[in-house]
Amino acid sequence: MGICRQTTKRRQVNRVMAKSLFIVVVGCGRLGSLLANGLSGQGHSVVVIDRRAEAFDDLSAEFSGFKVVGDAVESETLRKARAADADCLIAAAEEDNVNLMVAQVAKDVFQVKWVIARVAEPARELAYRQLNIETVSPTSLAGDYVLRSLAQDK
Amino acid sequence: MRQKQFLQRRYRAMAAYEGLILFLLGLLVICPLSALIVWPQEARQVWWFLLPGGSLAALGALLWWSLRPKEPVSLSTPEGAVIIVFAWAAAMLVGAVPLMGCAGLNFSQAVFEATSGWTTTGLSVVDVTKASHLILLHRSIMQLAGGAGLAILMLAAFGGPLGVGLSAAEGKETQLVPHMRRSTRLVVSIYAAYALTGILALRLAGMDWFDAVNHSFCAVSTGGFSTRPESIGYWNSPLIEAVTIPLMILGNLNFLTTYALLRGKWRAVLRNGEVRLMAFLLPVGISVLFICATAAMFPSLGKSLRVAIFETVSALTTTGYSTVDYKSFNAAATLMLITLMLVGGGICSTAGGIKQFRIYMMWRTLLWEFRRLLLPRNAVSRPQIWGEDSREPVDDASLRQIGVFIFLYLVLFLSGAVLLGVFGFSLSDSLFEFASALGTVGLSVGVTSQTTPSAALWAETLAMLLGRLEFLVVGIGLVKIIQDGRWMVKVVPTSRK
Repeated sequence: MGICRQTTKRRQVNRVMAKSLFIVVVGCGRLGSLLANGLSGQGHSVVVIDRRAEAFDDLSAEFSGFKVVGDAVESETLRKARAADADCLIAAAEEDNVNLMVAQVAKDVFQVKWVIARVAEPARELAYRQLNIETVSPTSLAGDYVLRSLAQDK
Repeated sequence: MRQKQFLQRRYRAMAAYEGLILFLLGLLVICPLSALIVWPQEARQVWWFLLPGGSLAALGALLWWSLRPKEPVSLSTPEGAVIIVFAWAAAMLVGAVPLMGCAGLNFSQAVFEATSGWTTTGLSVVDVTKASHLILLHRSIMQLAGGAGLAILMLAAFGGPLGVGLSAAEGKETQLVPHMRRSTRLVVSIYAAYALTGILALRLAGMDWFDAVNHSFCAVSTGGFSTRPESIGYWNSPLIEAVTIPLMILGNLNFLTTYALLRGKWRAVLRNGEVRLMAFLLPVGISVLFICATAAMFPSLGKSLRVAIFETVSALTTTGYSTVDYKSFNAAATLMLITLMLVGGGICSTAGGIKQFRIYMMWRTLLWEFRRLLLPRNAVSRPQIWGEDSREPVDDASLRQIGVFIFLYLVLFLSGAVLLGVFGFSLSDSLFEFASALGTVGLSVGVTSQTTPSAALWAETLAMLLGRLEFLVVGIGLVKIIQDGRWMVKVVPTSRK
C-alpha cells in the first residue's frame, strides 16, 4: 500500500511538472521561502514579495525567480509582481490580516484563479471559505496531527 | 574528512555539468562541416574538425553519463565560476586545433584566433583570402556561440543545474522571466531570430549566401570576423552598411531592453539609462569622427558621413567591423574611438567593454553626489533609477561594485597598453589595440597581424578572455580551485605550539 501511495504521489508531482505555473508567493519568511525555493526548483516561474529585502537571504541557490521588495497590501506591489498574469497566489505572510487582504485583492482585483492563504487562527478559516479562498492553517494541521497520534496510541 | 567528502560530491556534480558544456562545445566544433555539402572538395580537412570536436563531445558525454547526479543540483556562483573557467579554457584550446591544422597558424596564433572568436572580439591573424570555407565558418560559429555564452547555451539546450549560479558566473545574471531555464531559452530564441533575420537581410542587400551567413553571425554576436580582408568595406555598399548597423545595435542591446521592446513597452525602453546613454554617445561619436577625420578623407559628403556612422556604431557596440583604415585618423578621432570602445555595449548583451549601464550609473552617482552637497546636511536622499515600469532604489553596494569594476578595467587597460608599448608599438596604437582587445571589439590599427610577436598575442588573448568574463569570475574560479585543491590533496596537519 505504501508503494501505491508513493507512485500516486510521484504521478501528481509529474503532472505539476508537466505544466509549469506562474506563482506569486507573498511573504518570504520561513514558509514563504520554503515554498519559493521548492516551487522554483520544480520548474515553476516564481515571484516572491516581501517588505524587507533582507528576507530574501533565506532563498537558496535553487531559487531562480524574481524578487519584489514592497508591501503586498498595496496593489502597486502586486502589479509589479505581475499578479494579474499569475496562475496561483500564495499568501504566506506572518499576519492573518495581511494574508486575508492580499488574498482578497488578488482574487477580486487581479482575478487570480487560485488563491491559497495561510491562516494562523483556525477560527478564521470559515470567513476565508465564504470568500472562496483556499486556506492552510499550520495551527489546525499541527493540532489535528497531535490529536490523531494520541488517538492511535490509545 | 567530512569537508573532503563534501567537496568530492560537489565536484562530481560540477564535473557532470562541465561534461554537458564540453559535449556542446564538441558539437559546435563539428558544426562547420555542414559546409561540406556545398564545398565537398574541402573534405581533406575533415579530420581537423572531427577529431578534436568528436573526442571532446565523447569526453563530455562520458563525464555526464558517469557522474550525473540523481537529482538536479543547484550550484553556487563560485562553483559556477569553476565550471565556466574550465569550459572557456577547453573552448580556447579545442577551437584552436582546426586553425592550426588548416589555416597554418602556430599554437599562439591559433589560441589567439580561437579566443578572439569565442569572446566575440574579432581581431584576426588568419589570412582570410587563403582560408577555406570550413575555417571561415568555424570562426563565425565560434562568435555566434560565444556571443550567447557557453553557459546560456548549455542551460537552454539541456536544462542543467537548478538556480542561477552558472548563468550568474558568466555575467548573465538578469533574467527576462521569473525562471532561469525559461529565461535562457527565451534569450537563445531571440538571438537565433536576430541571426536568421540578419542572414536574409544581408542576402537581400547583395551578399552571397556564404558571406551573408558569416557576417550575420558575427554582427549579431558583436563579434566582427569577416570573410574579406577589407571587412564590410569590401562591398562599399550603403545598403549592406544600413543592414549591418541595426544588427550590431540589436546585438549590443541588453536582452531585457529587447524583451521590453518585443512586448511593446516603449516607455520602458525610452526611459532606460543605457538607451539614453547610447542616444547621447552615438551622435557625439559620429560628429567627432565626421569633423575630425572622415570629412577631410573623402571627397563626397555621403561617403564620409557613412564611414563616421558605421565606425562609431561598430566601436560602441564592440563589433569591430570596419569600412576604412584608421591609420590616417587624427588624434581626436582615434581618442573618440578608444573612448567608445572602453564604454562598450549594453550589460547582459553580447557586447563587451565597461558596459553602458555602469557608465550611466556612475554619471547618475556624480549628479546625486553633487545634489547632496547642495542639500542640508541631514537630508536623507534615496538614489533611484527607472526600472521597467517604476523607479527602483539603488543600493550603495552595487555602486561600490561598479566603481571597483571600472577601476580594475582601467588599470588592466593601461598596463596592457604599456605592455604593447614595450614591444615597440606607438602610444596611440598600443592604447587603441588594447582597448579593442579588452573590450572584445576587434577594430585594429594593424598591431595584430600575422607578424605580431607571440608574447603580445598572449597578452591580448588574456585581455580578451578577462574582458569577456569580466575578470571577477576568472579570479573567483581560480581561487576556489586552489582553495579546494588544498583540501582534496591532503589535509596538512597544522603545526601547533
